[in-house]
Amino acid sequence: MGGADLWDDVMYVFRDGEACVSRGGGSEPERGPRGASLAVGVSAPRTMFRYQSLEDCPLDEDAFQTLGEEDEDIDQFNDDTFGAGAVDDDWQEAHERLAELEDKPATARELEDGAVSDEMDLLGHHEENLAERLSKLVIENELEDPAIMQAVQTQPPMQPGGLNSSIWDGSAVLRRIRGPLLTQEMPSVSVLEYAMPQRPLQGQEDERDLSERALPRRSSSPVIGSPPVRAVPIGTPPKQAAVPNFNQQILCPKPVHIRAPMQQRYPSPYGERMSPNQLCNVPAGRMSPSQFARVSGLVGSPLTSMNPKLLQGRVGQMMSPASGFRAFFGAPPPSAPPPSQQQQHPPCPGSHLQNLRPHPQMFRPDTTHLHPQHRRLLHQRQQQNRNQHRSLNGSAGDRAGHRSSQQEQLRKDPYANLMLQREKDWVSKIQMMQLQSTDPYLDDFYYQNYFQKLEKVSAAEEMHGDGPKKERTKLITPQVAKLEHAYKPVQFEGSLGKLTVSSVNNPRKMIDAVVTSRSEDDETKEKQVRDKRRQTLVTIEKTYSLLLDVEDYERRYLLSLEGERPALMEERKQKICDMYDNLRGKTPGQERPSDDHFVQIMCIRKGKRMVARILPFLSMEQAADILMATARNLPFLIKKDAQDEVLLCLLRPFSLVLYHLPSGTVTSLLQQLANLPQSVTAPAPANLHLAAVLQNKFGLSLLYLVLSRGEELQNSNAGTELMQDNQWTELMSMTTRELLRIPEAALAKPVSTPSNLLSLFSRYVDQQKLNVLETKLQLVQGIR
Amino acid sequence: MLSFEFGLCINCNQCLIFSVTTNADLTSLPEKHLVLLRDGRTLIGYLRSIDQFANLVLHQTVERIHVGKKYGDIPRGIFVVRGENVVLLGEIDLEKESDTPLQQVSIEEILEEQRVEQQAKQESEKLKVQALKERGLSIPRADTLDEY
Repeated sequence: MGGADLWDDVMYVFRDGEACVSRGGGSEPERGPRGASLAVGVSAPRTMFRYQSLEDCPLDEDAFQTLGEEDEDIDQFNDDTFGAGAVDDDWQEAHERLAELEDKPATARELEDGAVSDEMDLLGHHEENLAERLSKLVIENELEDPAIMQAVQTQPPMQPGGLNSSIWDGSAVLRRIRGPLLTQEMPSVSVLEYAMPQRPLQGQEDERDLSERALPRRSSSPVIGSPPVRAVPIGTPPKQAAVPNFNQQILCPKPVHIRAPMQQRYPSPYGERMSPNQLCNVPAGRMSPSQFARVSGLVGSPLTSMNPKLLQGRVGQMMSPASGFRAFFGAPPPSAPPPSQQQQHPPCPGSHLQNLRPHPQMFRPDTTHLHPQHRRLLHQRQQQNRNQHRSLNGSAGDRAGHRSSQQEQLRKDPYANLMLQREKDWVSKIQMMQLQSTDPYLDDFYYQNYFQKLEKVSAAEEMHGDGPKKERTKLITPQVAKLEHAYKPVQFEGSLGKLTVSSVNNPRKMIDAVVTSRSEDDETKEKQVRDKRRQTLVTIEKTYSLLLDVEDYERRYLLSLEGERPALMEERKQKICDMYDNLRGKTPGQERPSDDHFVQIMCIRKGKRMVARILPFLSMEQAADILMATARNLPFLIKKDAQDEVLLCLLRPFSLVLYHLPSGTVTSLLQQLANLPQSVTAPAPANLHLAAVLQNKFGLSLLYLVLSRGEELQNSNAGTELMQDNQWTELMSMTTRELLRIPEAALAKPVSTPSNLLSLFSRYVDQQKLNVLETKLQLVQGIR
Repeated sequence: MLSFEFGLCINCNQCLIFSVTTNADLTSLPEKHLVLLRDGRTLIGYLRSIDQFANLVLHQTVERIHVGKKYGDIPRGIFVVRGENVVLLGEIDLEKESDTPLQQVSIEEILEEQRVEQQAKQESEKLKVQALKERGLSIPRADTLDEY
């Protein structure tokens, strides 16, 4: 409770859950904290104190959402619960049945199909119900996302009418035990969403709540621990009024279509009571993948054959037509599908389904999202397998043959295919969903940049060579349009007004912590220094953010519309100005007499790198200014840079700037480097400034650059003024003197020695000295 | 047969992506996988099941201890690994498996070697800490779970 005043209220929270407030004016609370029972005492100024007792604090607001919204649904709910629509399903029986199966001896692996079907009957029937119900509920937008669906290489679904279908054959022999044991969860739909009875989908609901159907952000992954925004906590019995919420969430054009065939095949009624409790019995609300077996199976194939138009009713999905399922490499702009589009029932998805008979051998998966190397490996392996397979059984299409070959292989490895294909698909689907991103450049910056670079390289290669040397396929991740989730506060039935409940999506300030900055008069020098350094660090960070923004403008420019571009340009310019101001330290309305601010920044490694990155964006005068400031303070900076040796990163941008500088500036620059006052007084025996510069790699390299530039200018037409400039001559003689004076051992090794230095020096020194310089500085290329 | 291919780790949330192959055919031989755990153990076994957290079920697992050029295998049976402890998981090319410069030794030997190696490491660590202490510096120890 540091900083709490005597006059603040203090809120005490006791272990038994009660809380009390002690009014300001004393340290004694009204009810006296009793030592051990005090859990926490918190200072809470009066204005901020909200809850008189902990009981008033409601639970997570996500638990009670959108209650009592649509009146017309209430009647329906009543009916379903108490009236004709209610189906009393005894979940306990179903559970016991499942438990029985577990207890059966583990001989399934060697069972023939006949015996299997008995067990399957029990299991399958039950699961049929479940699957049917679930399939009505669980169809989701995410499943239609092409990128996700690519990852789902589901086998074609079961044939109609018959438990002795191929799914349960062969590999399914192994899978005796299903049910709550295998815990996997359908992505992004909470437990209770499964549980809720399916409602006949109404068209208008599509429009109403498409926004709520959007995928949760990646941060709220389909893990139970972080449920989607609108999920009800696990274990909460479904409320009457909460049903419409689920209803809306369930809505999706898809179920409309899928249900049509489903109803043909699974006429069993859907029970209402079953799911929440039963599913809640499952640990952490996870569902068995086999219970989704048919769901995903059904979902998978109709999608592949479905009319692309059907997919457009969804919100929050990047769509390329489902039939197309071609991986998309770039970033096709998210197209917000018109929410008003009515869904059409396909003529009969069932027919599609029936057409897609299982022929595992012929099934050609869509592997475009795999890395090319992996795809090649996979195909190789498949080739091998197919060859082996064919050798094992003569007729490829023969079902019996297929089965026997399977069994043979099973004998070789009885544990093969413990995971069904759809389970694998399901897991990889989850993984793909976690990769959904509204802004890949934000979420996955380095990967995007890395691939851009690779593409540039390969494009360059292509120019030279015949074709791309290496395939570089990106992993195709689904892309989602950004959606604004309107936060709706919790509403209680029958309550007046709205309660403010704090949750992860709606954080509320509970404690008003007041920051009291202590202004002591006798701040120590160390503190001042430390504060100053911290100030500098903060400045660097701010400027860096600006820099990153500015660097990003190009990309934004390309993505933006025509009308927005001038605004973008303006913003960019403004940010560049701000950056420069930050660098030099804002002294409004004055000249910038002090380099101090800049030098401070340059003392920090990050600051140097930042300056190197900023330089290309600055105007010529600004850049020259920076250059000057650097040169002026170079010895100091060199000293500070001794450990980091980061100054060298500045060389490249500096040289670029130098290239454009006029001669006058170059002269001044050299002057700064040599640290001569304006009027040349009697030269000191040793120019310490210059000496320091020469002994440092960066300094020497910079000096060379400057000299080289001067030489260039001299050679060019504009150089005549340089020749006439007394200052330049003085500086040159100064420099050469220093260069001659300094022992060779002390001389640093420059990054590169420009070739025109020799000619430069030849103007100012005699031959003998020139030779000395030559050898010393290794100006002639041959000497190395 | 279950076979996963190793995908690219592109997600900044650092989740392992594996793209599931569509190997509808059953291969005659299952594929071995190698798992590296956070505590430095290397497990080799047949991957039977995996879930979205990278929880693994390994069958006929063998823990392989590497010391220098030698390695030893300890058979462990069935392993169920919690996903958070997995560092990486990869498939072993069965043809290349025997093609290593490493030499397999018996379990006792490799355990002995490991012990010797650990001892040497501890000694050098102790010396380092001592030297630093003399200079008035101290380096905090890394979390034991993540070092090996």
